[in-house]
Amino acid sequence: MAIMRNSDIAISIKNLSKFYGSFQALKDISFDVERGSFFGFLGPNGAGKTTTINVLTGLSNYSSGSVDVFGFGVTSEYQKTRPLIGLCAQEFNFDPFLSLEQMLVYQAGYFGISEPQAKRRANELLDRFQLSEKKSVKYRALSGGMKKRLLLCRALIHDPEILILDEPTAGCDLELRFLIWDYLAELNKEGKTIFLTTHYMEEAEKLCKTIGIIHNGEIVQIGEKEKVMKEKTLQDVFLELTNYREKIC
Amino acid sequence: MLISNPTGILALIKREVMRFLSVATQTLFPPMISSILFICIFGLALGKRIDLSESGITYIAFIIPGLMTMNAITSSYENASSSLFISRWHNHIQEVLLSPLSYFEMVLGILVGSLVRSLLVVSGVLAISLTFNPMPIAHPFLMIYFMVIIPIIFSCAGMLAALWAEDFNMLTMWNTYLIMPLTFLGGVFHPIHLIPAQFRFFTKLNPMYYLVNGMRHSVIGVSDTQVMHSIAVSLALAIVMFLTTVYLFRIGYKLRT
Repeated sequence: MAIMRNSDIAISIKNLSKFYGSFQALKDISFDVERGSFFGFLGPNGAGKTTTINVLTGLSNYSSGSVDVFGFGVTSEYQKTRPLIGLCAQEFNFDPFLSLEQMLVYQAGYFGISEPQAKRRANELLDRFQLSEKKSVKYRALSGGMKKRLLLCRALIHDPEILILDEPTAGCDLELRFLIWDYLAELNKEGKTIFLTTHYMEEAEKLCKTIGIIHNGEIVQIGEKEKVMKEKTLQDVFLELTNYREKIC
Repeated sequence: MLISNPTGILALIKREVMRFLSVATQTLFPPMISSILFICIFGLALGKRIDLSESGITYIAFIIPGLMTMNAITSSYENASSSLFISRWHNHIQEVLLSPLSYFEMVLGILVGSLVRSLLVVSGVLAISLTFNPMPIAHPFLMIYFMVIIPIIFSCAGMLAALWAEDFNMLTMWNTYLIMPLTFLGGVFHPIHLIPAQFRFFTKLNPMYYLVNGMRHSVIGVSDTQVMHSIAVSLALAIVMFLTTVYLFRIGYKLRT
């Protein structure tokens, strides 16, 4: 059972700023993500999406502001926030020495899950993502789509409350994309909070309940999907708020 | 509490051990083969010309603790530095950084993995050495102390190098230009009285000198230093290196952007 201080707000970001040297990647951004929400975090390349994710997961330090996960500070109480988050990163960053099953079992172990339980959970996930036959091989033997699925398995191995997905379907074929969409929708229905970044507007439009758009390190739009779209397509809204903005500047 | 996630640490240790066992031909056996060569060439061939009869020991017995120390240093350093650096290089360090392991626990996990490798290597070197030169161990508990404390120091040194290094060239630099020369100059193969008198002062500034001689005292009961000095230097080094490594993990030095 996950421990939470605030069970309504999954993610709370207040006045968050992040500098890389003199470059300000995040400019005083603030927003909340409610528990059980399917939140789409959109923005062009370099807008600050991955930086925000890295701050949330503790992979990046931040310059000022506060970032809470279910009421716990991600820096001061990182041992409480990390079990609540599962990250499906953009890159294939797997241990080359381990088989798929070993990798998942060790990963579960880091979260305090006993080995028998970890093995059971790993096999369930490998089965769910059609990777069971490959469980004894090392990740280099997998195709691109399989590696994407493995990223998802690893993010879910400790059954986190929040699943953060950084472009999970980039480079996937249609079949895999639909498989991932169905699984994410199912997870969200079960009550998981999902924080998704994507460049596919139809993906965000189909899956997300709330949308945030970030541009040049600033939140330019946030709210329920219908209110953000205002009878337009999400793509039109996105282009208006990002590319179009740049043109007039 | 210092350890809040014992299952997590155990998983990290298992992964570390699994990593070096999966490449045992590179990690476990070469030090044993090179030790046999050192014993044959220095101990059996050249050693006959070195007279240590004043101390009542043979030259081959003299170099055995030196070889144990040298292998404890290199195996623990190489294990920790390569493990952490490769995980930074492939970025699968994120698997650990995203977990609820505390920074203390992360360092401890990597350290214990290197310690296990070092203990396997040094025990192997000792076993091989004893077949060439059977002898009783003078102070077995003290030997265990040095077999543990030396890898603690150099596992941390390996982690520090792995954090600092940006490429493989930088990673090997510390070992090539600092650790190996200091180890050899620290008395692995020679007693201090064989060094010209004007250089002995510099030898005494070398921390490896205390580690080699501490191990030598524990194994053969003879050394060039007071054993308490060796214990004090090794303990102080281990504490400083460990705390520095935990601190760098905590601030995310080259681990977090």
